[in-house]
Amino acid sequence: MTTLTQLEAADFINRSFKPLPRAYGDALVEAALGDQRIVTLCADLVPPTETDRFRDELPERFHNVGIAEANMIGLAGGMARSGEIPFCHSFCAFITKRVLDQITMQAAYPNLPVKIVGFLPGIATLLGVSHQAIEDIAIMRAVPNMAIFEPSGPEYHAAMVQLALEWDGPAYLRMKRPETTPTAFTPMPLEIGKGVVRREGTDITIISAGLCVHESLNAAELLSQKGIESRVIDMASIKPIDVDLIIESAIKTKAVITAENHSVIGGLGSAVAEVLMDEGIGIPFKRIGIQDQFCEGGTTPYLMRKFGIDADAITRAATAVIQRKKSK
Amino acid sequence: MKENHNLNELQEIAKRLRLHVVDMIAPSGQGYVQQGLGAADIFTSLYFAEATMDPANPNWEDRDRIFLTTAHNTAIFYATLAERGFFPVKELATYVNDGSTLEINSSERMGTFVEATCGSLGQGLSVAIGCALSAKRQGRSSRFYVILGDGEMQEGQIWEAAMFAGAKGLDNLCLIVDYNFVQSEGSMDKVMSLEPLMEKMQSFNFDCHEVDGNDIASLLNTFTKVRETKNKPSFIKANTLMGKGVPSLEGLMFHQLRFPEEVARSARAELEAE
Repeated sequence: MTTLTQLEAADFINRSFKPLPRAYGDALVEAALGDQRIVTLCADLVPPTETDRFRDELPERFHNVGIAEANMIGLAGGMARSGEIPFCHSFCAFITKRVLDQITMQAAYPNLPVKIVGFLPGIATLLGVSHQAIEDIAIMRAVPNMAIFEPSGPEYHAAMVQLALEWDGPAYLRMKRPETTPTAFTPMPLEIGKGVVRREGTDITIISAGLCVHESLNAAELLSQKGIESRVIDMASIKPIDVDLIIESAIKTKAVITAENHSVIGGLGSAVAEVLMDEGIGIPFKRIGIQDQFCEGGTTPYLMRKFGIDADAITRAATAVIQRKKSK
Repeated sequence: MKENHNLNELQEIAKRLRLHVVDMIAPSGQGYVQQGLGAADIFTSLYFAEATMDPANPNWEDRDRIFLTTAHNTAIFYATLAERGFFPVKELATYVNDGSTLEINSSERMGTFVEATCGSLGQGLSVAIGCALSAKRQGRSSRFYVILGDGEMQEGQIWEAAMFAGAKGLDNLCLIVDYNFVQSEGSMDKVMSLEPLMEKMQSFNFDCHEVDGNDIASLLNTFTKVRETKNKPSFIKANTLMGKGVPSLEGLMFHQLRFPEEVARSARAELEAE
């Protein structure tokens, strides 16, 4: 068999990289071109956090701090105190759990515009438990002044930058790199504290965020085939949450389920439950999410199925909740 | 603006600060007396000679910034801020009272002269470096002084931050370790030695100085050298004596000193007699 020269091997390797869209990274650069205050920090995960274009085009406003997340959040606090708007990047697991103290004391307590941007949301990674963040929303939701935004797909990535900038204080963006080029899609406008109704229905409301929005929309199709019409809400603004839309939907459909790529403890489902309880709305309700367990590495569709957060799981839960609603 | 005092005046100020420390802690009967007395000369040198600031305009963007990252050493910190004119001296009497902003751990709710909320140890150096980077980018002349505790240097984040500052050659940054050799559970060498500290910081690309942290003239000379250092951050190992200025307390290695009335009264008399 003929072997390759080093040059040929390198050529094959270079051509094997498929450039993926980086809607978030592009939007961040565009925003920074128009706003001198924006700076970018990264803890040595530049392409995985889509910050390579920023690094190359605005090097004087970019710092790779090395694998040192705690220092990164501290630097960001200092920069934000000095009138800048730092966007800090790592994986969700590290940029929330590893540096929670730094985030609370150097970003949230002083209410500074430090933007915490994590990739690899929830279980969506091959890299396994160390890199999975199934409790990050629960943790960040409990931090005063902190906003949390999660896009349902790449078409909403640009809006994430806009929401982060519109929020005066610290914000957590829970991002997911696209694995393929997404199909053309016109996003609906996002607003802080507003959910987006992605599908109308009167039998049940499915409130979802992130990766689970598409699963919820698919579930709604499956349910529709059985004569159940679902209202599907994309709660991209997890905190502040759209209280009015939750109440209105609960009253309208008299059954609610939530679906999220996160533990059922403390995340979107808990946030919705808190609203319903505070309002005294007792209706059939179910949270779809990771059932208080650690997961494992794998492809995202495999994991979503195995850990019960895919369209089938949502469909089953919705069917059961509808049964409870009928027997009420 | 810088204060302009001769050495005698600075020593008088340091004595006044020490008296405040005694008076502030005496009512509660225990506190960071020893660290406050020990660090009085560092605070005096920084706030009353070295740093450029304007108490009438504490948000002035071109001010030098001093970060006290051992945020519990507050009796001396608040005494300094009050004497420097950031708030009325009479407020020192509210120290650690319920409802007072003069909490044991300083919080920025007091005002921007508390440059960051640093009670959680090891964080302030990173914040100062972030500010120093912004100042460089914005073309500001501000300098950034960080007063670190020696025990605090056991925190991993300090070394992340030192690595960064050294690698970037941040010459507007000056790190001062208040080397009093005591941490909560005892002396540094028993708990976790930092030595050889000078060599460690040199290897992180800091320009390093070791001084008697209770000698104001030496501190001022060192600050002058630090100001002239280019392309490197500076590190000052300021060796301080716990309880300095009160002979009956000097060298007593208590992290939280019990401060019974008799001891406080004597401390006050010893300071006044000096």
